[in-house]
Amino acid sequence: MSLNIIVLVKQIIDIDQIRNDPKTGEPLLQNIPLRIENLSKNAIEAAVQLKEKNGGKVVCIIFGTDRSNAAMKEAYAMGADEGYIITGYSGNNPYRTAKVISGKIKALGNNSVIIMGNQSADSYTGILPGLISAMLDVPLLGNAVSIEAAGEVLKIRRVLDESDEIISSGAPCVISVTQEINQPRLPPVLQIMAAGRKPINIEQAESDGTPVPRVISNLAPKSERKREIYEDIDKGVDAASRAIRGEIR
Amino acid sequence: MKFLLFADDAKSLSGLATRFREDGEVQAVTVESEIEQCQNYGIKKLYGLKGKAFADNVSLAISGMDLQSYDLIVISSSPLGREVAGILSGKLNFPCMTEVFEISFSGGKMITKRFFFGGKTIMQEESSSKIITVTPGSFDSSPGDNTAEKETIDLGDSRVSLLEVKPKEKSSTNIENASIIVSVGRGIGKKESIESIMPLVEATHGELAGSRPVCLDYKWLSEERQVGLSGKKVKPKVYIALGISGQIQHIAGMRGAKIVIAVNKDKDAPIFQECDYGIVGDLFQVVPKLVESLRK
Ligand SMILES: Cc1cc2nc3c(=O)[nH]c(=O)nc-3n(C[C@H](O)[C@H](O)[C@H](O)COP(=O)(O)OP(=O)(O)OC[C@H]3O[C@@H](n4cnc5c(N)ncnc54)[C@H](O)[C@@H]3O)c2cc1C
Repeated sequence: MSLNIIVLVKQIIDIDQIRNDPKTGEPLLQNIPLRIENLSKNAIEAAVQLKEKNGGKVVCIIFGTDRSNAAMKEAYAMGADEGYIITGYSGNNPYRTAKVISGKIKALGNNSVIIMGNQSADSYTGILPGLISAMLDVPLLGNAVSIEAAGEVLKIRRVLDESDEIISSGAPCVISVTQEINQPRLPPVLQIMAAGRKPINIEQAESDGTPVPRVISNLAPKSERKREIYEDIDKGVDAASRAIRGEIR
Repeated sequence: MKFLLFADDAKSLSGLATRFREDGEVQAVTVESEIEQCQNYGIKKLYGLKGKAFADNVSLAISGMDLQSYDLIVISSSPLGREVAGILSGKLNFPCMTEVFEISFSGGKMITKRFFFGGKTIMQEESSSKIITVTPGSFDSSPGDNTAEKETIDLGDSRVSLLEVKPKEKSSTNIENASIIVSVGRGIGKKESIESIMPLVEATHGELAGSRPVCLDYKWLSEERQVGLSGKKVKPKVYIALGISGQIQHIAGMRGAKIVIAVNKDKDAPIFQECDYGIVGDLFQVVPKLVESLRK
């Protein structure tokens, strides 16, 4: 059976580049680029591998903004066939995100599997797979470290605290992946160039009235650590060894 | 207030019960195997789920309860818990606040704290969410003064089938009690290189531990040596992080360390924000020098 695979791609501000204002503790967000969220790349890779094995097509959905084209082009370069950007994302509201995305998935119709990361690197909410599965009313195969398709059945392996499991369900279903599932490919230049020419479908999300939390503050945690950093190895070794000796004495 | 808690492990449930009984009546749901260990934490009524728990049949069991009678549904953020929270939020149209590690109630308002921007910041929010997920390990447990009234709920069928289970073997290492920990990350490069770290482990009389990739993905160390959010929370006197980048999920497991020493060749690695002494350099160069200096 060839698969109609939908991948949910999240675009985030490049959190690794965020620095906090040393005085106020406020995150400095100006001029920080956006990037595809780490696990979304694993999800795209997993989808493309499934397609390569079973045939079918990979459709990516980004609930994003008018700055989301680059992320979609990256998904194309990795092997996605079709992409939809729904603009109007305002962040930090998984319930609304799930509503918008599941609405789009329903409109596309006829899909066999929806793949996404299990917990995104910026906010870690981890509840989107459950939300999407509830809103589409399809089974959820969560935390996959590998995926296999056989006819109308999808099978994943997952690693839990007490056991490793293989679970399965019929299509359509939602699969969430962990970062262990694969090493996302680095697309060759030719593919990157081809991706640049491929059309992207852009739509606007309707606004809605889901209550959003009121942010009281969003500041760097106060770390009590000394943070004595040595670029001179010998000096660093001296300091570290003194500290260790002080404790094992 | 009246709370309904769900956790699929006794340790998290007893922590949640200890925290939320301060603010009202607590009822709880857990899987059958955990019930015995949860009954003395001030939970008034304790429901045990019987059968193989999947996100869908657990959510169905919980949504069959009289949820309107609770002010807040509190779910421990385990892999199962997060899925259940998502499904309940979607089915019941209750927005969900996630990964809360601190919470307070005042004048009918709920104020929560969680990490944001990958752990770079703490976000404090006021919300009207009716469901929250709580990061495991956020609250310590202490026994309460009643024994829970128990009731069993039979789980219905899931649309997911279990084809194979391989239980993991338990071993005896307990890094949670170690007073010195030498912890290695992906920067160690390969399993064989762990040998070259052993002199440091010996010189410090420490225990060996690792980050998630080292323990879970590559299996260079066994899983019970994994430090972090999804591993062990450790509280040694000294924690030596070698070739560990310092992602927040790792930091979550070592926040309790008294002194943190980090060696990393990338001077911008986040671990340097969370250490007392940091050495920018190749761990294979630094470790022998450190051993030599300790032996002096
Ligand atoms: C829900 C969830 C739960 C998680 N739970 C955990 C958890 O419990 N524990 C955990 O650890 N992670 C956990 N993670 C994963 C976490 O996000 C990081 O991916 C992981 O901690 C990275 O491990 P690392 O630092 O070993 O590897 P990397 O991030 O790859 O870092 C390797 C570091 O080694 C340095 N390096 C390389 N070579 C050398 C050298 N020769 N000398 C010195 N330095 C060198 C590099 O500069 C780099 O900083 C979790 C993730 C998620 C999403």
